[in-house]
Amino acid sequence: MNIVYVEKVSKEYQLGATVVKALKGVDLAVEGGEFMAIVGPSGSGKSTLLNLIGCIEKPTAGIVKVDGVDVVNLSSNELAVIRAGKLGFIFQTFNLLPVLTVAENVEYPLHLKPVGSKEKKERVDSVLKEVGLERFSAHKPAELSGGQRQRVAIARALVGSPSIILADEPTANLDHKTGTGILELMRGINKKFGTTFIFSTHDQKIVTMADRVVELRDGERAGD
Amino acid sequence: MYLRLAFKNIFRNKTRSLITLAAIAFGCISLIIAGGFMENIFYQIRESYIRSFFGHIEVNKTGFFEKGVAKPFDYMISGPGDVIKKIYSAEHVKTVTPRLEFSGLLSTGETTISFLGQGVDPKTEKEISTAVGIDAGADLAPEDTYRITVGRGLSSAIGAKVGDPLIAVANTKGGAINALDVTVKGVFFTASKAFDDRAVRLPIATAQKLLHTGDVQTLVVLLDKTENTDMVIKNLRDLFKKDGLDLEIKPWYEMADFYTKTVDLYRRQFLVLKLIIAVVVVLSVFNTMNMSVLERVGEIGTVMALGTKKSGVVALFIIEGFILGVIGGVAGLAGGYLLASLISYIGIPMPPPPGATMTWTARVDIVPGLFVYAFVLAIITAIVSSFYPAFKASRLEIAEALRHNI
Repeated sequence: MNIVYVEKVSKEYQLGATVVKALKGVDLAVEGGEFMAIVGPSGSGKSTLLNLIGCIEKPTAGIVKVDGVDVVNLSSNELAVIRAGKLGFIFQTFNLLPVLTVAENVEYPLHLKPVGSKEKKERVDSVLKEVGLERFSAHKPAELSGGQRQRVAIARALVGSPSIILADEPTANLDHKTGTGILELMRGINKKFGTTFIFSTHDQKIVTMADRVVELRDGERAGD
Repeated sequence: MYLRLAFKNIFRNKTRSLITLAAIAFGCISLIIAGGFMENIFYQIRESYIRSFFGHIEVNKTGFFEKGVAKPFDYMISGPGDVIKKIYSAEHVKTVTPRLEFSGLLSTGETTISFLGQGVDPKTEKEISTAVGIDAGADLAPEDTYRITVGRGLSSAIGAKVGDPLIAVANTKGGAINALDVTVKGVFFTASKAFDDRAVRLPIATAQKLLHTGDVQTLVVLLDKTENTDMVIKNLRDLFKKDGLDLEIKPWYEMADFYTKTVDLYRRQFLVLKLIIAVVVVLSVFNTMNMSVLERVGEIGTVMALGTKKSGVVALFIIEGFILGVIGGVAGLAGGYLLASLISYIGIPMPPPPGATMTWTARVDIVPGLFVYAFVLAIITAIVSSFYPAFKASRLEIAEALRHNI
């Protein structure tokens, strides 16, 4: 079964009097355990497609199914439950909560699930070890490098054992070496836990690490 | 987690949070000080009236309060000894003293002036009239017979000094005119200038002799605590009813018209003050929360993307408001207590109240109810002012909010 199924999806934004068509009838099917890159120039619709799959936005038209659930007509609360239960997010700008420590940031998604405090700690320790940051658990994000912050974000995405991790330009704010390290970490998690990764990038060197590459151009599929 | 996150968020911008906490604390302190000061004024005016004039309770022949002014001799208590004993049998009664009031003329031989006579039992009256001060000479003593004390204003109007002989003239119970030679033993003052301008106090036995009566007009009752007034009145009414005594009872607050009106007026003013303070706290917390939402749009987008529901975002900001209210409230209570204690220790010199001649020292009472009120107000206003920013935060579009992180 496809873990992500997108059919004839369009997304339009109203900008003043102008209607901007960010996606124009895009089809996409993703198998569970894939490590997939979405590529394309700026404005091609990469982030929009990820937002639709991530239940952050709703399409103007079309079907979006996540882990078999048609999410198009769900309420905001139901979408929040899908996001908390099935999805993990990695952002270009890391998006860590600056007032929380590394461990608290990683722990946050577990508070949205019925997980006991002992299990929370075990899971946080485990994913921090996985991303190599167990020594930094008491640090604040501001005390970490960009690469370390993104590792924390990966740990946060991973801690809830989601089916899919969506990463929007996860290496865009990192130097090439660090970015490659982050992709290798993601790839390792993908292989070890079978977690589906869908990430957007416009870095061609990183694209080569993906199993499958989907290209978008002007809101349309340009090819695999 | 929300509690931890809310707590940490509050202190991310320390200066702003401190200003907000200071505003909340200031509100609490203002309520505690203004309210405590007002309660102290009420207390002092109340006690001064009770201990100058009314006692806590007055007992009279039924009908006296309605018609006694026109026909005082028709409403006298005969054989007051038994009634006094009965009153003493009630719980919380400290002192009972008889009074006999009448009007007459006071003359130095050259000057004659009308006066309001108050026949009192010097021994028991002393225990009740503790707020009556002596300007010159001495107060009446049990052994005094033809000696009187005169009010400050009356003394000055008639030009009578301590030791001066005067003639007191009054109508007797039977309607005849009687006169007595008396000597000024002292000059007194009370909380009421109007009373001091007209009043003469003399031993009740002398007043009875002047009026040709063995009766008394009023039995003034002093209790252990003012708060027990209503309870004792109920007990006395039951007691009088049981014994078939034709007596009526009035509490101090029904007689102290000036006091009740003053309290009513000040309480309304205090209500306005409470409202102003609540508005200040609301605006202050609202500003903090609103700024906080504006600054944290990206973060709100992140937590919502991670699966936090809108209700969770609302809860986060409401909890922040609650924490601000609790911390500001506790600081306000502590500050209010310390400041109230300090002011009370120093004392505030006060001019005489309207219609009075005595200066006095006001303090700030520690009123537990006011502390509870201030604390609850701090929390409620802080929460209420968080509602709109919280609602605004929960309405953010996630994708749009996430763009603020770039």
